[in-house]
Amino acid sequence: MVMADEEENGVSIQLEFPKGRVKKIMALDKDVKRVSSEALFLVSRSTELFLQFLAEKSAQVAIEKKRKTVNLEHIRVAVKRHQPTRDFLLDELPPPSQAAKPDKPTQPAGRPKLDPAPRGTRCIDQFFRKPEPENTAQAPGQPPENPAQAQSPENPDQDQAQSPVPVDES
Amino acid sequence: MEDIGGSSSNDNNNNGGIIKEQDRLLPIANVGRLMKRILPQNAKISKEAKETMQECVSEFISFVTSEASEKCRKERRKTVNGDDICWALATLGFDNYAEPMRRYLHRYREVEVDHNKVNLQEKGNSPEEKDDELFKLSNRGVGL
Repeated sequence: MVMADEEENGVSIQLEFPKGRVKKIMALDKDVKRVSSEALFLVSRSTELFLQFLAEKSAQVAIEKKRKTVNLEHIRVAVKRHQPTRDFLLDELPPPSQAAKPDKPTQPAGRPKLDPAPRGTRCIDQFFRKPEPENTAQAPGQPPENPAQAQSPENPDQDQAQSPVPVDES
Repeated sequence: MEDIGGSSSNDNNNNGGIIKEQDRLLPIANVGRLMKRILPQNAKISKEAKETMQECVSEFISFVTSEASEKCRKERRKTVNGDDICWALATLGFDNYAEPMRRYLHRYREVEVDHNKVNLQEKGNSPEEKDDELFKLSNRGVGL
């Protein structure tokens, strides 16, 4: 461990976090009256170890998911995997983003989903389609190609009635 | 000894009981630096991950402090000491931290005693002044 090397080499033990800030966080607990300097030192040191542990586990998750950037979801998985950490930390993490939930398919960014059109209305591309012969039998497994037919199957003559008048090119 | 109940609570009262965000979290630069040291060299850390880690470590401090403080309250003591922190870590399931922390504590106390001895020898004061010096040292805490 790193600490053992420090002791053997006689290197002074340096803290990563400012003691004043650690003290302020400890003081947020109203029950805490006094803290000895050794307690403050140990809290700082154990916090460093905890951060290192969590960073390491999060990095492992990122590697498993073949990602180079550690993100919030990786931290969440790392927290879930360690029981003592999960007990106090899981509720504190921000809720998972919608993108992380696979049950709802995400909408493509192209155009927003609109409300369904009222009955009887037709898509504009109907105007540019050739009218199909009436006697063509529809395959049983396939849905009708014509969206207007799909919307109002009870009115089959609607297409003929509203189809554009053929233009006389002469 | 560090009396932490007074100063920070006064600060909070002055601001209408509002705790500044920066006082509630450890500096993001320190958190990021420590994370970078652990991660592989080609790895990156998102800003969101750093901010989340900031929250996590602050929560850890509060969690451990709360447990140690509860022990002191039950034993009718006012000061949280190093042994309380080690006990809290072990109780909360961080047994793998408790043992290294005990070794750190032992080392810390040795260094602190050495500092005190050196300071007293340099001063060469009267017994009353020596007591006063010890009191100041314990209040100040030794920066390592």
